[in-house]
Amino acid sequence: MTRYVLSRVLKGVITLLITITLTFLILRLLPSDPALMMLGEMFTADQRQALIERFGLDKPLLEQYFIYLGNLLQGDLGMSFYQRRPVMEIIQEKLPWTLLLMVTTEILTMVVGIPLGIYSGYKRGTVFDQIVNAVAIFGVSVFVPWLGFTLLYFFGFKLPIFPVGGAYDVGTEGFARILDIGAHMVLPVATLMVIYLANYVLYTRGSVIDVMEEDYIKTARSKGMSERRVLWKHASKNAMIPTVTMAGMMLGQVVGGAVLTETIYAFPGIGRMIYQAVGQQDYPVLQGAFIILALSVIVMNIITDIAIVYLDPRIKLE
Amino acid sequence: MNQRPSLFSKWEKEIKAFFRHPIGVIGLAGVTFVLLVAIFAPVIAEPVGGYGIFEERLTGPSTSHAFGTDDMGRDLFSQVVWGTRASIKVAILSVLTATVIGVPIGLVSGYFQGLVDTVGMSLVEIFLTIPMLPLIIIVTAVSNATSINTVAVIIGLFSWPTIARITRSSTLQVSSMQYIEAARCLGIRTGPIIFKHILVNASTPVLINLTIVMATSIITESAISFLGLGDPTTFSWGKILHNAHASGAFASAWWFSLFPSIAIVWFVISFNFLSMGIRDALNPKITRA
Repeated sequence: MTRYVLSRVLKGVITLLITITLTFLILRLLPSDPALMMLGEMFTADQRQALIERFGLDKPLLEQYFIYLGNLLQGDLGMSFYQRRPVMEIIQEKLPWTLLLMVTTEILTMVVGIPLGIYSGYKRGTVFDQIVNAVAIFGVSVFVPWLGFTLLYFFGFKLPIFPVGGAYDVGTEGFARILDIGAHMVLPVATLMVIYLANYVLYTRGSVIDVMEEDYIKTARSKGMSERRVLWKHASKNAMIPTVTMAGMMLGQVVGGAVLTETIYAFPGIGRMIYQAVGQQDYPVLQGAFIILALSVIVMNIITDIAIVYLDPRIKLE
Repeated sequence: MNQRPSLFSKWEKEIKAFFRHPIGVIGLAGVTFVLLVAIFAPVIAEPVGGYGIFEERLTGPSTSHAFGTDDMGRDLFSQVVWGTRASIKVAILSVLTATVIGVPIGLVSGYFQGLVDTVGMSLVEIFLTIPMLPLIIIVTAVSNATSINTVAVIIGLFSWPTIARITRSSTLQVSSMQYIEAARCLGIRTGPIIFKHILVNASTPVLINLTIVMATSIITESAISFLGLGDPTTFSWGKILHNAHASGAFASAWWFSLFPSIAIVWFVISFNFLSMGIRDALNPKITRA
């Protein structure tokens, strides 16, 4: 078990290192020389030269790389040149919102998607199964902003049940504040759920169909166990394993969806920050956002990998 | 008889199976429709660009503007119609780029196995873990990509892992076959074995999945344009949605966002259906039945 966890963590560290290296190379090697762009254009030639020296941009690439790594290790992601304050500070304000949005979506999608998949796999070929499948395929094909616009149009403007933007109203406190944030999250979470539910449903459905053929299910049935118990206790646990594995791998995509969703609903997370940084050509913020998002995905991946051990004890034996 | 019928007769069973599959046929029809619209765009719609008519801004669908007008009084029908060209360009260019990178990596990984395979597939896994959209956003923003072609190539640069993975598993199967061993015994060099004998026989699963990669690329391009990046002169569907969102008009003018969105969903569903149809037609378990 310890070895398994260690190997996952090592994999995570390697992934992070590759992510960072990639970002470094993108920012230093592309023709427009963004490193110089980061210094801004409002400086005189002398000031520019001084800044280049201060940021070490005149040093060999490899040395620059290690300076960059060293800064990252100290949590230094550079300065936003639009907001004129450390990128890390900005990200610390925004990250909790994105994590809240992603974790809520992830949990709700599992809670809804896995049972739906189990049941439609069990009832394979029936009308129920076909409807679930059709809706799932539609979900995969939908473009996030359109779904966002539609939900906003109907539930925000036409039938104003839910707040149309932001994450909270100013002036609420305590429990009212929590309820308020919840209300603000309904539409963004619903948008992301429609998009990602399909994967959970279809994956679980597929593995239930396989699992139901296994010998141990036949044994359970021949012991006279009720169908309900066979399906929800014995079959479902094994059917969930591939889905949870997939959920971990999907996280990177969910981040992409979150960027779009936050933009539409003006949700104050990293995604909306990326949208604003694109408009302001704030490269340090873009770079920092990407590294932190990648780090979050990697950490959540490790958590998923460890969670799988509890579902599938066979891993522990290896 | 010339060569043609024999080429078709080789695939006769599969083609028949494909046309028996309603989902595949719907997909094919959908893709064909988009292609036709793209080809005949100059005939169907007025050219886009320039300034609109101020008095006609944000008017709903009517006989003169089938899809209504945008916040600058420009016709949305012609924007959506010309958008098909942008989307097809993106689909083809990005898939080409992804194939050029992904197929060789998959072939080499699957053929040599061992350490090469471990490194190759770890790379694939890492690239599939990293949140791609933010990365593509950075590259597009930093490289100042202002042409739709550049954006398409950038999307392709980050879509290769899927293709590499499929090529690899297909290569694994093919390279264990006896005729590959025979080729090796005959002293054929490794290069030709991989890029001629294996590639030809391992390509079918890759081709099926290209349609899915195309669908994903369109969604990515739409997302990039929606966020306000990319080609400022080309009206892609994502760009129209960006205008709808940025002008705030989407809240009152439903037609502004609805028609380009339908176009995106149409395109993506058609490609997904098409690939489902082809996959089932090539699956012997289903074809035999």
